[in-house]
Amino acid sequence: MMTEKHLTIESQLEKFPSVLPKFIIGLVSFVVFYILTTITISFKGINEKGILIAIAAFKGLFNPSMSVITDLGKYGLLQMLFETLAIAFLGTIIGLVFAIPLAFLSSRNICPRWINTICLTLISIIRAFPAFMLGIMFVKSIGPGAFAGVLSMAIGSIGMLSKLIIEVIEDLNPGIAEALDAAGCSTFEKIRYGLIPQLSSNIISIVLYRLDINVKNATILGIVQAGGIGAQLMFAINARRWSDTGAMLLGIIFMTIVLEYFSTRIRTRLAGQKD
Amino acid sequence: MIDDILHIFFPREYTLENGKVVKEKFNWTPYITIAIILFSVFCAVFTKVDIPRLFQRSKAFWALIEEMIPPNWGFWRDMQKPMIDTIVMSVLGTVVGCLIALPMSFYLSSNFKLNKVYLAGHKGLLSLLRTLPTLVYAQLLSIVIGTGTLAGTISITIFTYTICVKMMYEQIETVDMGPYEALESTGASRVKCMMKAIYPQVRGFFWSTVLYCFETNVRSAAILGYVGAGGIGVQINEQLTWRRYGNTGLMVLVLVITVVIIETISRELRKKLVQG
Repeated sequence: MMTEKHLTIESQLEKFPSVLPKFIIGLVSFVVFYILTTITISFKGINEKGILIAIAAFKGLFNPSMSVITDLGKYGLLQMLFETLAIAFLGTIIGLVFAIPLAFLSSRNICPRWINTICLTLISIIRAFPAFMLGIMFVKSIGPGAFAGVLSMAIGSIGMLSKLIIEVIEDLNPGIAEALDAAGCSTFEKIRYGLIPQLSSNIISIVLYRLDINVKNATILGIVQAGGIGAQLMFAINARRWSDTGAMLLGIIFMTIVLEYFSTRIRTRLAGQKD
Repeated sequence: MIDDILHIFFPREYTLENGKVVKEKFNWTPYITIAIILFSVFCAVFTKVDIPRLFQRSKAFWALIEEMIPPNWGFWRDMQKPMIDTIVMSVLGTVVGCLIALPMSFYLSSNFKLNKVYLAGHKGLLSLLRTLPTLVYAQLLSIVIGTGTLAGTISITIFTYTICVKMMYEQIETVDMGPYEALESTGASRVKCMMKAIYPQVRGFFWSTVLYCFETNVRSAAILGYVGAGGIGVQINEQLTWRRYGNTGLMVLVLVITVVIIETISRELRKKLVQG
């Protein structure tokens, strides 16, 4: 009888935690927010010109100019998109070439502790550097062009690639190498049949993931004159050539979606293969 | 020797004693490797990769870094405001974007059986919007509503929304629907059911998504100034054009330190979220 008495609706409701603290947290964060907004954001109001520009831009975006799309010259859409893709692809490959030895040097199960520490510090320094800063520095020293973009992409991808590859290497199963040892395999055979099959599918999916990111980054590298579609896109927006802008944006969207589709498909296939 | 090399590309066939022909398994890997190498070389030619020039000019690169290295500490007073702007822009953009994304992600996840045509349209639009970088939005917005932090904040909000909503609805589609149905059978309204049965299951994931978005946004907010959308980018652009590398060095240093601090804090917070 006693237990049933406790189970009234009122007693259960009293057990329910009070909403007051949450309410206070909400109120305080709202006030902090409001102050933050007032100190940084100045809204001058949308003038009529802005609305007109917005309408013109919207119209232009849905009427992509065919001359840009069909132009096969240096400032045609196809060449610019391919240049963007080339920068991202080459950057990823070069980044990978540097990232794999770095990752091996900084995995705990391969190399001694002190080498790990040095390499990990190096990786985190590279990682912290914003990619577009690298772009600016390469443009200043090597000269504008796609080459500067490739270099900054390459260095920018080393950090993340090696960080993810380290995780894969540290998950290696040592039993396989031991079993091959016991079977009398040479070092080369151990690498070929023990190491590469364990690593390859994971590394490929990491690289594809980074390639997706790099293609997105490569579209904005253009604003620092480091090649790719970005420069022309910014010029077109600044000059308010909206139909050209529309064509380029459509091109970027198309390229990114196609790439994303294929890389997701390859990645799911690789993930299926592992199990 | 040549036979061994050919064997990589063309699998051998063995004829057994009983006349059976055994084929080796065909392997695409060597062909793909060669295709990737050829494509890389083609890309290198297209982007005019020039290794000798890299070595020639690498001196200029190091000289640039050397000029940055004693950062001009006096510049700190001038760069405080843009730096705070950058952080506040990314905080505001992240919070507003995620707050809009949370209810929308419930609406967009397929396990509540809402209007399918609308869902497909909204998801399609989101995946289109997600492909464009923040900078493009900032550039467009700074022309429409004027340069300044507002354009930057709105573009960060749009970007955060598109990312956060996708991650959230994919997570919500995997939750256990049992509690939801139980609550629904007691006669609770749909919103109450979502808040009490679904939200607690995705709470940790939501907060870790917020932190992830914040990290990415701080990085992208630093660039936004380049197109006049507020933040530290404006200053970086100006100081670089005026060739004041000491000032640039200080800004890069502060930016790197900020990013590292934010990443460390969010990593620790996320560890806690995963545990409890």
